[in-house]
Amino acid sequence: MSKRTAALLSAAGVIVFLLAWEGLGRSGIVPQRLLPSPSAVPATFIAEIKNGQWQAMVLASLSHYLSGLALGSFLGIAVGTAAALWPRFNAFQAGIVRMLRPIPAIAWIPFAIIWFGVSEASAAFLIALTVFWINYFAAYAAVASVDKDLIELGHAFGQGALIPRLFKIILPGALPGIFAGLRAGLGQGWMTVVAAELFGIPGVGMRMMEASGLLATHIVVLYMITIAVLYGISDFLFVRVQSRVLAWQR
Amino acid sequence: MAAVIALKGVSIGYGADAPPVLAGLDLEVERGSFVAIVGPSGVGKSTLLRVVAGLHRQRAGTVVLNASERPQHRPFGLVFQDPRLLPWRRVERNVQLGLEGLPVGRAERQERARTALKLVRLEEYGTRWPYELSGGQRQRVGIARALAVDPDILLMDEPFGALDAITRRGLQDELKRIHRETGKTTLFVTHDIEEAVFLADRVLLLSGTPARVAQDLDTRNGTSAENVERIRAGLAGDYEI
Repeated sequence: MSKRTAALLSAAGVIVFLLAWEGLGRSGIVPQRLLPSPSAVPATFIAEIKNGQWQAMVLASLSHYLSGLALGSFLGIAVGTAAALWPRFNAFQAGIVRMLRPIPAIAWIPFAIIWFGVSEASAAFLIALTVFWINYFAAYAAVASVDKDLIELGHAFGQGALIPRLFKIILPGALPGIFAGLRAGLGQGWMTVVAAELFGIPGVGMRMMEASGLLATHIVVLYMITIAVLYGISDFLFVRVQSRVLAWQR
Repeated sequence: MAAVIALKGVSIGYGADAPPVLAGLDLEVERGSFVAIVGPSGVGKSTLLRVVAGLHRQRAGTVVLNASERPQHRPFGLVFQDPRLLPWRRVERNVQLGLEGLPVGRAERQERARTALKLVRLEEYGTRWPYELSGGQRQRVGIARALAVDPDILLMDEPFGALDAITRRGLQDELKRIHRETGKTTLFVTHDIEEAVFLADRVLLLSGTPARVAQDLDTRNGTSAENVERIRAGLAGDYEI
């Protein structure tokens, strides 16, 4: 199958899906209240843009997302790298990790709200937590599997001290694995954004909660699509950056 | 002539309790000479090279490198059996690796990398990624990287062992030319006796458990077929399949 056929088939699938959905609504089999038809979404979008809700909510969500993502990714990579680098630190933190790791980030919501209130910081904290673990494990595995021969090479050519070893050998060698973690965090982060905001922190999730309370399901659908599109864009941009940075890979 | 490398009573082993693989080795390598070390696999010849390079600690004995005191060079350049290039660096940046951290400016680093690449006839390949090169070319980049630090000593660990016969032959000629042009003291490990006799002025055969110097031949003018046979017999006697 050629690339073009595959793309055409994929587009056809989406169209059939939307038509079936629309038909289900129009035929009256499913009441409009329960399943808004896709044709209602563009009008809803324009209305939400006009009253300024869409921009405000997307901006708020993006801001939680980016700050949580940056914090969680950085700390995850830093701690994961340190654990893979120093056996003593690894042993020290292993028990703590085993204790905290199984707790899903959204289980921290009560504490997030007690500590930070229903605020931006709360949402960022929860996102950071989700993203932390993904990046922690990805960085740990990536750093631990850096070719020992390359580290020996570094020693033979005067790059054996911690700083050159870390920045010239270990981190570049671990970069593909670290990028895989960042990318997975990018996706999981969006899920946590919505989950956190469902509890009333302003953003896309909160707006969805409000709308569902009023049975304005067309608004709910609009924001579901918004999330899908925002994730699609962030993943696309990430892959662009990644393929540039990792151009040395075959 | 002063010995550039002086080993005295060197013993090598792995792990604390295992018996040594190599014991009581004395070796002096004169400046500018090309010394080959041959021996069956497992005899500790690669480890010996790593001991000289300070990458493996000997169990006993002393290792002295009489490298000159020049701040802009490293005492030795090491060539591994695999090319061992950093895949995320272009060829020229790979060659510059050992110069980083030395008091050498960026422009001079680039210039020295270019000169070293010229010496291995790869001056056109500086901006390539390692994956774009053939196995033989990668190994030549490894040699250029070792030469770029302008070392007193070139340490080579079966550098042509993984190459096909034709490429190997070509690189042996190149190495002979490079040694003639640069006069670098070279310690070369191989299990190929013909290669050793072709390249080196002096061939040492390590054998036995623990290994010792079983033969020490002057091969400046080649050597007799009889000697080659004797060494080959020494190698074969110790070989395990």
